[in-house]
Amino acid sequence: MTTAQITDEAQRQLARTLDVDEVRDGDQLTIERLRDEVERTDDPEFASMGESIRSDLSGKLDAELLETQLEELSRQLERLPEVREQGIPEGETEAEVLYRELAEPGWEIYDHLVDVDFFESLEANLPRFTPEHIEGTAHELIATDELTAELEALGFDEQERIALVMDVTNNNDRLARWVPTKEIPAEVEFGVEHVPPLHQRAAGGTLLWVDALDVHLWQNRVLVTDEILDDGYWDIKALLGGFHLLAQAALDITREEGLTDSQLTAAITAGAAIMIVNQEEICKNMFWITEEMRAPSEAR
Amino acid sequence: MSLEEDRAVQAAKDTVVRETDQGFRVLGSPEKSVTHQHDVDRIEEFDVTNEMIQESGENPEAWLTYGGNYEQHRRTTADVITPDNVADLEVEYMLDVGAGSSMEGTPLIVPGDPPIMYQSNGPNHVKAIDAREGDILWSYTYAVPSDVVLCCDDNNRGVAAYGDKVFMTTLDSGVVALDRYTGEEEWYTSTADHEEGYSATWAPVAFDGMIFTGSAGGEYGVRGFHKALDAETGEELWHTWTSPETEWVGDSINQSCATNWMNATIDVEKRRLYLPIGNPGPDFDGSVRPGPNRNSCGTLALDMDTGERLWAHQEVAHDVWDYDSAAPRILIRDMEIDHRNTTKDVVVSAGKTAWLYTMDADTGELIERSEPGVQQLNMYRMIPHIDEGRRMPFMPGAMGGNDWQPPAYNPETGLAYMKMNNSPQEAWWRFEEYEEGKKYWGGILEDQTEAVPDEYNGKISAIVAINPETGERVWRDWIESEAYIWGGMVTTETGVVFTGTQNGDFIAYDGESGDRLWEYDLGEASIAGSPMSWYDPETEKQYVAIQVGGSGWLRRGAGGRDTRLAVFSLSE
Repeated sequence: MTTAQITDEAQRQLARTLDVDEVRDGDQLTIERLRDEVERTDDPEFASMGESIRSDLSGKLDAELLETQLEELSRQLERLPEVREQGIPEGETEAEVLYRELAEPGWEIYDHLVDVDFFESLEANLPRFTPEHIEGTAHELIATDELTAELEALGFDEQERIALVMDVTNNNDRLARWVPTKEIPAEVEFGVEHVPPLHQRAAGGTLLWVDALDVHLWQNRVLVTDEILDDGYWDIKALLGGFHLLAQAALDITREEGLTDSQLTAAITAGAAIMIVNQEEICKNMFWITEEMRAPSEAR
Repeated sequence: MSLEEDRAVQAAKDTVVRETDQGFRVLGSPEKSVTHQHDVDRIEEFDVTNEMIQESGENPEAWLTYGGNYEQHRRTTADVITPDNVADLEVEYMLDVGAGSSMEGTPLIVPGDPPIMYQSNGPNHVKAIDAREGDILWSYTYAVPSDVVLCCDDNNRGVAAYGDKVFMTTLDSGVVALDRYTGEEEWYTSTADHEEGYSATWAPVAFDGMIFTGSAGGEYGVRGFHKALDAETGEELWHTWTSPETEWVGDSINQSCATNWMNATIDVEKRRLYLPIGNPGPDFDGSVRPGPNRNSCGTLALDMDTGERLWAHQEVAHDVWDYDSAAPRILIRDMEIDHRNTTKDVVVSAGKTAWLYTMDADTGELIERSEPGVQQLNMYRMIPHIDEGRRMPFMPGAMGGNDWQPPAYNPETGLAYMKMNNSPQEAWWRFEEYEEGKKYWGGILEDQTEAVPDEYNGKISAIVAINPETGERVWRDWIESEAYIWGGMVTTETGVVFTGTQNGDFIAYDGESGDRLWEYDLGEASIAGSPMSWYDPETEKQYVAIQVGGSGWLRRGAGGRDTRLAVFSLSE
């Protein structure tokens, strides 16, 4: 299976965004090195966003449900290697459940978050992905031991954690185009009621992509190669890791002690960014199977 | 009686199609629908039954449903015309249908003495014609509301005949039933609100007392559906959304599109419908509709009695190139699949992606994806956001590959035949407001781009033969032109394939080899219609009919309009 791919140029871009020392070819950035050089954001608005979200959602979130399902989601992440080993679901007349099981705890969490207007609160309180907001998020994400430790506990190794940080920092343009429904682009008067909130699109899209793999891979097995499954392994892991980050932030709102308001903002933003970027990656790696990517036909 | 005296023809002629920012508008339509009768006594009175339509594919005298048979093979068992004698084909008659609007239809033939042809064209104009003499027996023009907006012209691709009625979809998203003998209106049912952006252009299909009809409006943020209506009364029997809520995030389902804008293929044995399903909405901005957007851009199988969804096979997940999968599906029973050592019923789809997909009819499992019919350049590369200032021409363009053009299948040659475009297009996405009834693309499409991928061969279209069992592209005839290709195919049991081109040529191919056997120059106008064929035992001739004239993109430039129905014949 393929793990996160990190190029020298991607590392240099990360270093530029975070304003850390130059990265030479062959250097391997680590979270620890970044943490030594990066400071927490001092933008008061960053904390104020987190504070507003906490205030909106205070008393609404079901801590027990979130805790239970987050544990289950962690277990599903641990199952990923065995899912990859099987690769394509079995089933005589339809796909048996394989990938859908990975997303199941995610749906429990998602449905609850929809019920309590969690995504509406994020929509109201968070800005679009501006370079400043992304930079602040990256600083907090790296500087917050709880967040990176959480990813480590979920099975993301050093390289994978760096890759997730890069998803946040190296995709300014991509992320900026996923516009919150409240934003009004210069020439467009936007009808907010017709589009789900940005973070709901990130989270819901993530779960839909993972769910769809059962039928997609089962029906299209004649096209599927090990390379497609290997590339997809990381996309799925990153998607579920991003979802976990967001959901863990929701759980943190129910606790008296935990993340600071700035860290809460960072966890939510980083989770959404990781999910958005990797939705685009899973399309390319697993679903849009070109002539060059496909398995050779057995009939020709 | 001359065409000038035909009030229905005049009403159709007075109707003007105008291209606006929001699409095509139909202006000047009559306030009330108009029927004009000529010599209706020539029409023999008998019911068109299920059995007759089921046998239509094997009956050389009949063409009783849009695709020739319920399986949509577009093959006739009339065997007068062969590869050896097709060069002797002559014009039997050229009928001026009077209304020179979109000409995308396939006429039907109800056998009898004389055989009766039911022929339709834009704007919602239909005629009963004595197919032997080329005489108009009645004509009818539907009163299209003036606030209808259409993405792609005032198309009408044909009618259904069943019992004592003919059925036509209407541009305002409805179905009208006419008395088959007199052309008088029997009932009208609206299937959706055209003010929300819905429309209807395909030929409906009829079976077992039901009329099956879908939905159009994929460029207007509607939600796709399929319906069954009672053939006798027009009452709705069931309604099924093409996409379930669970496959979309939040309210994005409301503008999900995934419309079903060409007709169903009917599996009478398993009582199923196989539907072609179009693009997700909005077309180019995927950020407001995350996830794969199932069941868009693929095939959807429904239970014909309940509308229950049985399976869906998606050709393009999370489409951002407008890769509808619109062409009618071909059902092939008991296809021998040598490389799997098995025999199965399969459903075949010719997609805009330029691949032919062969699927297990019971499960939607892909058995084979063919070699590409045309060039695939920059394919599946994400289109740029409008702010990027980047250009990325992609092929196939947004019209395919194979768009709506109905392909044909010939069991004798074992090949499927189709018409594909081969032209780059560009698209950019942007955040866009949804407003009911207004165009909702989420971006811009550059139809005729000057940015061309280096490897482009410069040939704008092709006629292609593909083996659905192996996916092998067996032959291909590149068609060069200034205009795109449109319209469908017909094939004969004897192995001839007929089709028209955007250059006004009507061509007969050897179905095995792709050799051109015969060509007829029908003039300057493009041919957007889909040909069909029948045998008349009284005259002992086999006929081939094609509607001449452009539609949609082909109404412009090199293509252009025409008003003719060309009928060719060959004696035994």
